Amino acid sequence: MNVVQKLILGGREFESRLIMGTGKFASTEIMIDAIQASGTQLVTVALRRFNRERPSDDLLSPLVKLGITLIPNTSGARTAAEAVRAAMLGRELSGSSFVKVEIHPNPHHLMPDPIETYEASRELAKAGFVVLPYMSADPVLARRLEDAGCAAVMPLGSAIGTGNGLSTADMIKLIIADSGIPVIVDAGLRSPSEAASAMEMGCSAVLVNSAIAAAGHPADMAAAFATAVKAGLAARRAGIMSRSECAVATSPLTSFLTGA
Amino acid sequence: MAGVIPSYLDPTPWIPAARGASPADVRRALDSSQPGEADLAALLSTCAADCLEEMAGRARALTRRHFGQTLSLYIPLYLSDYCSGGCVYCGFAADRKQARHRLKPEEMIAELDAIKAMGFDEILLLTGERTSPEDLDYLNRAVQFAAQRFAAVTIEAFPMRAEEYRGLVQSGAMGVTVYQETYEPIQYEAMHRWGLKRDYANRIETPARALEGGMRTVGLGALLGLSDPLFDVISLFRHALYLRRRFWQSGVSISFPRVCSQEGGYHPPFPVNDRTLAQIIFAFRICMPDVPLVLSTREAPAFRDGMAGLGVNKMSIASRTTVGGYLTPVKSPDGQFHVNDDRDVATFCALLKGKGLEPVFKNWDKVYR
Repeated sequence: MNVVQKLILGGREFESRLIMGTGKFASTEIMIDAIQASGTQLVTVALRRFNRERPSDDLLSPLVKLGITLIPNTSGARTAAEAVRAAMLGRELSGSSFVKVEIHPNPHHLMPDPIETYEASRELAKAGFVVLPYMSADPVLARRLEDAGCAAVMPLGSAIGTGNGLSTADMIKLIIADSGIPVIVDAGLRSPSEAASAMEMGCSAVLVNSAIAAAGHPADMAAAFATAVKAGLAARRAGIMSRSECAVATSPLTSFLTGA
Repeated sequence: MAGVIPSYLDPTPWIPAARGASPADVRRALDSSQPGEADLAALLSTCAADCLEEMAGRARALTRRHFGQTLSLYIPLYLSDYCSGGCVYCGFAADRKQARHRLKPEEMIAELDAIKAMGFDEILLLTGERTSPEDLDYLNRAVQFAAQRFAAVTIEAFPMRAEEYRGLVQSGAMGVTVYQETYEPIQYEAMHRWGLKRDYANRIETPARALEGGMRTVGLGALLGLSDPLFDVISLFRHALYLRRRFWQSGVSISFPRVCSQEGGYHPPFPVNDRTLAQIIFAFRICMPDVPLVLSTREAPAFRDGMAGLGVNKMSIASRTTVGGYLTPVKSPDGQFHVNDDRDVATFCALLKGKGLEPVFKNWDKVYR
């Protein structure tokens, strides 16, 4: 069996390799059902959806009740300074020192700003956060973020919400090859098979939101993603055969060479 | 002399396509991976009207993909109905003989608190056209009061200079709504009889000045019914494209206010019926999948309920178009426009939940100011 690195973030080991997002669900109840069906131990939630004044509109308190690890995210921030402020407030309100740095200044395509993301991540790592930056699939940036003290990197598979899958697969492989910290594919996954592919490729975990929230039956889809992630990880442990350009005979072609 | 539509907004090259699109043009638009003006024009055509069901399905799928199974809610607060403008279609026009009112600071605070108690966290503050130099200070004060209470504060007021918008950002505003009313210059001149608002070019450039001043979002719209809707909505689409390219860090949203004939009221020269309005909204969603599309309580419950999640992802509810009116709600005919959906928050939220849509009150945070 191949040895697969454990998923350790902030000094804690997580069994589940499926991280869930909490936006876009038709109701809080449906979101909670999906989280429970997924078996996830880590969920991310936008600070801007914390609503202490209207419990029925608040995403934080029902997640706290689940007793799983929360990763407040800074979605809405346009700059490093805004993200740092949001992270501080998120930690204060949630009690979690995990933060997903999300800085996407263009509110339409939501692609992450590499410069602001780097600055915020460096500052937050210094301040003791467990920093998980959402980033473009850029192997150089990934190394820079690792050197800045991030706990993991979260390259996008494709743009948020598009369901275009692992369109950045080649770059993610380069990130994995050089990375000393967990690589978690975030954004773009549409189907469980893509999550399995990401795990087979060597990712430590995947983060899924839209594909579960927009499914006809979110809890069932969450369970399907959980199964796929486990299958991908199991396949990596088992050792996936390599690709070959030509056919490989199951009976050796050179068995007649007896050495005489 | 009427203004001239800037070339970057001019819809003229696409109007023939919108009038005479073939089924093949419509199919091409529906299948386009990067829809542009020609695709929008095809989807606005009479031929596309035959594909309304397919357009609705596409609009719903795209809305779900980008905004999830949620619908964001906001509420307007009219601060004042004093106005120097002469818009022929508006209930606040300066020549209308009616008692005028401007909320005093203590009234503002009471109204804001009453709205907050309704559960809202996004508020749109409105005034008429500028009547005196003090109007800006007044608006700044209102924004400051609102920013103490609401996560998201936006304004719909008179056009300003970029520095003036910058001051409002510092007071706590994050967005500006400014409708061009109509992009057709001759109709624009006819509709706006006097005052600063008669300056067509100044109004066209207002959203860009707001973004230059540091606003995060601008809300655009045309008051459907004032001119040929094809001219207006293709220009509106181009305006959104232009602003997105020029201000890449800013958000653009689009509203679809419509003037309907009312007994004893204004009769629009180009009335837009429900099917056409739905087709316009579907066409925008298909061609701008990631832009928030907004529908107000101008529209009746049946239309709003049908459009929720079907292209539209943001709505107002429980709105008063009178000055104030939340502290002691009264049905009044004297608002800026007639509210056709007067349901309360709980009733509307129950309806949304029944449709599988989560009403979202807070989707922003003061920390981003």
